[in-house]
Amino acid sequence: MSAAIAIGPADPRYPPRLLDLAHPPDPLWVRGEIAVPLERAVSIVGTRRATGYGLRVARELAAAAAAAGIVVVSGLAQGIDSAAHEGALERGRTVAVLGQGIAAYLARTNARRRRLAAEIVRAGALIAEYPPDASAKDWTFVRRNATIAALAEVVIVVEAPSDSGALITAAEARRLRRPLYAVPGPIGVAACVGSNALIASGEARALTGAEMLLASLGLASDGAVRRTDGDMGRILDALAASPLDPDALAKRLGLAAPALAQTLARLLISGEVRPCPDGRFARR
Amino acid sequence: MRDRAPIATDVIGESRSPTPEVKVRAVARVWACALWGLETALVTVEVDVANGLPAFVVVGLPDAAVQEARERVRAAIRNSGYEFPLRRVTVNLAPAERRKEGTGFDLAIALGILRASGQLAVDVEALCLGELALDGALRPVRGTMPRVRHALARGIAAALLASANAGEAAACGADAYGFGSLREAVDHVAGSARVAPTVAPAPAPPERPAVDLADIAGQETPKRALEIAAAGAHSLLLVGPPGTGKTMLARALPSLLPPLDHDEALAASAVHSVAGLVDPRHPLLRSRPFRAPHHTASPLALVGGGSPPRPGEVSLAHCGVLFLDELAEFSPSVLDTLREPLEERSITISRAGGAATYPARFLLVAAMNPCPCGHLGDPAVECRCLPDAVERYRGRLSGPLLDRIDLRVNVPRVPYERLRDEGRESSATVRGRVLAARERMAARLVGTARRTNAELTVADIRRWCRVDDYGEMLLGAAIRERRLSARGYHRLLRVARTVADLAGSDQIRADDVAVALLMRA
Repeated sequence: MSAAIAIGPADPRYPPRLLDLAHPPDPLWVRGEIAVPLERAVSIVGTRRATGYGLRVARELAAAAAAAGIVVVSGLAQGIDSAAHEGALERGRTVAVLGQGIAAYLARTNARRRRLAAEIVRAGALIAEYPPDASAKDWTFVRRNATIAALAEVVIVVEAPSDSGALITAAEARRLRRPLYAVPGPIGVAACVGSNALIASGEARALTGAEMLLASLGLASDGAVRRTDGDMGRILDALAASPLDPDALAKRLGLAAPALAQTLARLLISGEVRPCPDGRFARR
Repeated sequence: MRDRAPIATDVIGESRSPTPEVKVRAVARVWACALWGLETALVTVEVDVANGLPAFVVVGLPDAAVQEARERVRAAIRNSGYEFPLRRVTVNLAPAERRKEGTGFDLAIALGILRASGQLAVDVEALCLGELALDGALRPVRGTMPRVRHALARGIAAALLASANAGEAAACGADAYGFGSLREAVDHVAGSARVAPTVAPAPAPPERPAVDLADIAGQETPKRALEIAAAGAHSLLLVGPPGTGKTMLARALPSLLPPLDHDEALAASAVHSVAGLVDPRHPLLRSRPFRAPHHTASPLALVGGGSPPRPGEVSLAHCGVLFLDELAEFSPSVLDTLREPLEERSITISRAGGAATYPARFLLVAAMNPCPCGHLGDPAVECRCLPDAVERYRGRLSGPLLDRIDLRVNVPRVPYERLRDEGRESSATVRGRVLAARERMAARLVGTARRTNAELTVADIRRWCRVDDYGEMLLGAAIRERRLSARGYHRLLRVARTVADLAGSDQIRADDVAVALLMRA
C-alpha cells in the first residue's frame, strides 16, 4: 500500500465539492489509486445494525452505481457502509471517508475490514481529514459524516435508526442542497425509524430502486430488471425481505421439501442465494 | 557365598525344605489385575514371609496408593482377628516393569499374606479386587468390569470382590463372590463359610427416552437433520435463538438411535466402570449414554486425564451422544481437544507413567445461539448485536472444528399457531427408517470395522457413492462455485449417501445431493 498523501484546497487534485463546506478539510489525506476530484459520485450511508434487507439493497444500489461509472462514497463502518463498499467493488470504484487517521484506522480495525480497505485502495481511495495517526473521537465522526455528504452529488440513506450518524450526513446534504434519498423500510423495525422519518417529513425522497438512483444522476439504467421465473423466482421473491429457514420457505411457497431442496441448491450453487452461518438462507 | 546359599534355596523352596524344624515357607500367589485407562494386565501378587527384622515391603512399581496399601492391609489383618506376621514380608506385583495404580490390590495382598503366613490353608484360585478399610471391611473399586473381563479371557472364572462390585463382575459372566469384609472372604476361601455366587443382575428396563420427536412442534428441517445424523452417525450443529427447542431436539436423538447391542453395552459399561459411575443394581448400560457437559468444562473433564487417569465426557459418551450446548461459550482450548477423538474415535492420554487410551466413538450434537444476544433472525425479539460482534462470536469456533461437523441447521422460532400442529411423526416411526438405513450400511461394510456412513473411507466413497447424472452436475457446480475442499466434498458425499440410504436407494440421486448441500450450508 502506498503511503497517504496530503492535499490542500488549492491543489488541483482537491475535490471541488468539498469547498461547499463551511470549513473544508485542510489538508485532506488520501491513500489510493483514484484521481480524487470525484466528478461523479454518490454517497450511500446507513446504520451499522442493518437488517439483511438493508445490506442487500445497499449492495445492489452500490453495484448499479459503480457499474455506471459513478464512484460510491461511504464511511467504511460495519453494516450498510461495508455493504455499499463491497457492492461497488464488484462492479467499479469506491471511496471510503474515515473518521480518524488512515494509519490509526488500519491499525485498530479487524481483519475483515482491513482486507476491505486494501481492496478499496486498489479500486478507489481511503480519505481522511485527520493526520494518519489521529485517533477517533465522537466529534471526528460528526465531521466525517458531513464530509461524506459534501463529496457526492446525491446522498442515499439506506437504513438509519432515530439516533443514527447517517442522519448527520442527511442533514448536511440538506444544508448543501444535495439531492437526498432514503430507502423506505418496514414499519416497526428500529433500523428504519430514522430513514422512514426522513421520507415522512419530506426531507428525503423515497428511493424505489437502482433505476431511480441512476435517473437522479442523469443516467439511463442498463436495462430491465432481471426476472427469474418459476420456483426459482418465487424463492428469490420470498427471500427479498429477510433471510429465511427452509421450513418457513416451504410453508410460504407451499412447496414440498424435496422440490424446494433441489431448487434452493441450484440457487445456492449459482450464487443468487447464500447460506447464513446460522443455517438460514439469504438473497445475495 | 556360604551366607547366600541357604537363602537361594529358600526363596523358591515351596515345600522342599532341607530340615523339618525350619517352618514351611511358601511364596503365596494371588491374582489381581492392573488398569491403565481401559488397558488391563493380569498381575500376580507374590507374597513372601521370611525370617528377619519385621518389615513390610511392596515392590513391582507400586504408586503411592499401592504403597499405602501396606498400612491398610496391616490394620485390616489385625482388626479382622488374624495375626500380622512380625517377620519380613515382601510383596511383589508381577510383571514388575509397569506402574500399578489404585487401591484395588489390597484384598489380593492381604489374602497373600494370610496364605504365606499359614493362616489360610488353601490357595486362592480367583481374581481378587477390593480396597480394605482399617477395620477389615471391603470397599468397592473403580474399573471392575474391564478387569474381570480380562481375567475371564485369561481363564480365571472366579472373582472375589466387595459386595458393591459383585454385580458388575457377574454381569460380565464371571462367578462373582461379594463380601463385606476380609474375614468373610477368608472364611469363603477356607471353606468354613461359603458364599453363593452373585446372580447377574437383571438388565435395566429400557429407559423411556427423555424426549420423543412427537413432543416437538414444527421444526421439519431440524428433525430431518436429526434423522440423518442418527442414521449415518453424522455430527450435527443446531443454531437458533434461545427457547426454540435446540436442547429438546438434541435430547430426542437417543430415541432415534438403534438399541445398544451386547458388545457396545459391554464397551460403554466398561468406561463407566472405570469412571466409577456404574449403578450396582444395573451394571450393564441398556440405553445409549447421553452426556451433556457444561460449557465451563475443562479439557481434563472433556477428554479425560488426571492422575490416576479417568475417562472424560467424550469416553463416557462412547456408543452414545455427546451434546455440547452453548458451543460458542466453551473455551477454544477445550474445543480444540475434541479434534483428536472426533478423528480417531478414541483418545490417548500420555503421561510420564505411561499412556492410557479410552474409546470415544460418540455422535456429536452441538447447539449455539446465532449471535451474542441470541436473537439474530428471531421474529419475536430484535437483535441488538453489531455485525462485528456476531462475527467475533462465531469466530470463537475454530475452523478445524466446524470442518468436522457434517450437518448444520437453523432452529427457528415456531409461531404459536403451529405449536398446536397435530400429526407429528413419533420417534418410533423415524427410528424404523434409521434402522433400515443402518442395515443397508452394515451390508455394505460387512467385513470391516466400520458401521456407519460417517466412517466411510475415501476408498469406500469411491466404491459406494455413485451419483446419478443430474446429481453429478449439481456436485460439479457446487465444487466450482463454492470452492468445496476435498474434505468438504467427501463429507458432502457421506451425508448424501445417508440421505439415499434413508430413502432406500442404492444410487445417490440429485435430491439427496441437494439435501446434503443445504444442510452443509
